[in-house]
Amino acid sequence: MVVASAPRIELHGVSHRFGEFTAVRALDLVLEPGRIHAVIGENGAGKSTVLKLIAGLLRPSAGAVSIDGDVLAAGSPRAAMERGIGLVHQHFMLLEPFTALENVMLGAEPIRRNILGGMRFLDWIGALDFDAARAKAQALAADSGLDLDLDARVANLSVGEKQRLEILRILYRGARAILLDEPTAVLSPLEAAELYRTLRRLALRGHTIAVVTHRLDEVSRFADEVTAMRRGECVLREQLPPRHGRLDASAEASSQPEPEPSALILRLTRAVMGGDVPASAPKPPVAPGAAAVLELRDVSVRGVGTRRLDNVSLRVHTGEIVGIAGIEGNGQRELATALAGLLDIERGTILLDATSPFAGHNDAAARVRAARARGLITVLDDRHHDELLLDATVGDNLVVGDLGLADEALIQKRRFAIFAIEPRSPSRLASELSGGNQQKVVMARAFDRTRHSLDPSTNAAHQPRALVLDQPTRGVDVGTARILHDAIIGIAAAGAGVLVISADLNELRTLCHRIVVLREGGLVAELPPTASDEDIGRAMLGVADRSGREEAVA
Amino acid sequence: MRGLSSSQQRVVFALAGALLVLNLASFAFGEAPPQTLARVWAGTWGTPYGVGQVLFKATPLLFTGMAFSVALRAGLFNIGTEGQLAIASLAGAWVATKLGANVPWFLAVPVVLAVSAAVGAAYASIAGAMRAKAGVHEIITTIMLNRCADVVLPWILTVALSVDGVRTAAIAPGARTAGLDTWLPSFHGSAASLAFPFVVVLAFAVEAWLRRSRIGREFEWIAQSPSVCEAQGIDVAKRRMQAMLLSGALAGLTVMGTVLGYKGYFELGLGAGAGFSGIAVAMLGRGGAVQLVAASLLFGTLAQAGLAINARVPRDAMGVLEAVVILLMGATAFASARVEPAPSEPARDKGGAA
Repeated sequence: MVVASAPRIELHGVSHRFGEFTAVRALDLVLEPGRIHAVIGENGAGKSTVLKLIAGLLRPSAGAVSIDGDVLAAGSPRAAMERGIGLVHQHFMLLEPFTALENVMLGAEPIRRNILGGMRFLDWIGALDFDAARAKAQALAADSGLDLDLDARVANLSVGEKQRLEILRILYRGARAILLDEPTAVLSPLEAAELYRTLRRLALRGHTIAVVTHRLDEVSRFADEVTAMRRGECVLREQLPPRHGRLDASAEASSQPEPEPSALILRLTRAVMGGDVPASAPKPPVAPGAAAVLELRDVSVRGVGTRRLDNVSLRVHTGEIVGIAGIEGNGQRELATALAGLLDIERGTILLDATSPFAGHNDAAARVRAARARGLITVLDDRHHDELLLDATVGDNLVVGDLGLADEALIQKRRFAIFAIEPRSPSRLASELSGGNQQKVVMARAFDRTRHSLDPSTNAAHQPRALVLDQPTRGVDVGTARILHDAIIGIAAAGAGVLVISADLNELRTLCHRIVVLREGGLVAELPPTASDEDIGRAMLGVADRSGREEAVA
Repeated sequence: MRGLSSSQQRVVFALAGALLVLNLASFAFGEAPPQTLARVWAGTWGTPYGVGQVLFKATPLLFTGMAFSVALRAGLFNIGTEGQLAIASLAGAWVATKLGANVPWFLAVPVVLAVSAAVGAAYASIAGAMRAKAGVHEIITTIMLNRCADVVLPWILTVALSVDGVRTAAIAPGARTAGLDTWLPSFHGSAASLAFPFVVVLAFAVEAWLRRSRIGREFEWIAQSPSVCEAQGIDVAKRRMQAMLLSGALAGLTVMGTVLGYKGYFELGLGAGAGFSGIAVAMLGRGGAVQLVAASLLFGTLAQAGLAINARVPRDAMGVLEAVVILLMGATAFASARVEPAPSEPARDKGGAA
């Protein structure tokens, strides 16, 4: 590997247009070696576009990207990579059936040439040199503090491990500038802190780091410099106090008490939102003695691979919002898909208003429809896999699954009006919408299903029953998340029992009356919304708390 | 090429390529290209008889092209129209032979068509059920079922129906579909029958129905993302089964162009090849009924042109031509897809280490 010093990346007056739409407008930006530069902004503010411009995946419409003073050949990912720039995409680009090591090597495999003695043109018949690749990968991992089992299959890795693998992969290719697109969106707070420790270590080794994120608290805790973007323009740039610049692996972790929203966070929020953030609606308390709307009794479900849900018992009462915390892959998806009616329940019972919402159906499609007719509405976490037809129109997406049940034009119009979906035309394709607007489509459909009977004869509003939301605001900007949060609190106030599964502990604290923690398929703790990141994090990881015991589910 | 849509451009490219190959082929066989072209023109669109023959050749292709494209709408590849149309044609023809001589056409034709559609759907349902219940991919099962039909048909014909030779008896006169020359005398001698206007109307009707109806829209959504449809409560297995049934039924209706409108009996090999050519018609004719009808006419023209030049240039040259059209369509479709850059192609998948 050629050891080069980390590149200094400069953007001068860079603009990028997608057709009529200007994603980035006359942006100046300097990324210095040894520093962590955070780029923040709402969905569609142009953050990811900036990373793609630097990585050569997009060609600037105006201006230039230069690396160490040389202008980068426009739109050439290869040239960018050769100059040591590596991009970690928001969605992982890993081959699930292969091992971590194989993924690291892929496309840059060393060849054994002891037999053919260095005849490079014969490389293609040589065997892959796994030992050399392993040695190099191990050295890089140890050097940067990336803890990873190289022989594990990617399919069995946690999200945090996949993230580390992605970073190792670009380091293996000689990246000295590391660009990460919303790396913490899917991580638990502890995993996020761990990631930033790794990034800090890389920065101290002289790497150039740029991170796109939605989470403003991360900026104040981990970054050296921040650029806030709004509508493609830089609206705020700030150097952060040098206390952030040190490597202090033990003290920098989440064990620090959660700081109050500082003046910095308020400043950043204002810049990103273009004004003051409207205060979140207060969540009304649950009425004492409220009836249980949704109840799980000793529910066990088998999911994909080894994932499962084990003997879960839980009650959600009228007007109550219950949060589910946990490291991704500990049974959250199994819980949500079981409540949706998609999975067979091995043992136990699910009750809605004291009777099964699935009406005894054995067939998943019939169960999904039966639960919906009874008022148990589920939104799953994987928007593109379960919720949205990207190549269909917004109008079609608003009614998918409900055809033949009600007057289509009527429900489509009603659902389109629930949130301000941009662009304001139901005939646009869902793939043309930003992530936040896509989620508005999904949530509008769910809220409407909760509030309106789909019986065409009545078509009247009815009492909302139960709403299950898995990651309701993942990858959604602050403003949209606030709108969705208000709607969730509103529907609970109207009498629905709401179950929110989220990796964002702040979201759970804002919304929920209580937070239960899911680990290895079981509920292991119940905490009040005032619990600290640390307390919740310990329960998620199964680490005993300070007094040496685990909290039991109440 | 400005002003043409990319799919229109593809058709123009494909036709130009086909014309070039035709010239080369005729040159290779020692025939002057202009004379071959003149012969092709006279045998197809240049004379009323030729036009009639083109419509006749296009008829089964439009049935099978529709059959394939209906399944494709739901994301299924029904490669089995070949076997479905053969079994269904035999069933329809056999019923037609059993009808009395004085059964009027308005009873006989619907009965025969209903039987053929039902048998085609039933044969396709085997593949549909295996996909829905066991997850066996329909490409494999439909290809296998084609081979099964090849074996089973002679057995049914000779053993079960005790027919001497390779053909059934003549069908009842009421079941015959009238030739177009009854109304348009200049088509005289050509085999074009009412089956052609019937299938064209059917193509538009099916297209309009699938575009508007719940079943048709859910087909398209399932093709886009079965997982989303499942999570939203659409019965994906049932809809896939329905798509296969509909596809098989349309393939079965081919009997109208071959048995009822042309031969008047069923024989082994009648309509053979229409199933596979129908796939090409469906792929070329994607986007709507107009495109589908145009594609069937194009392939009908090529088939008829093969007959027209057969005396001088082997008709197999037209088979080559069909292949050229398909290849060029495919290649240009691929090229036009590559022109638009993928917006978020990952950088690190593109090359080696620094």
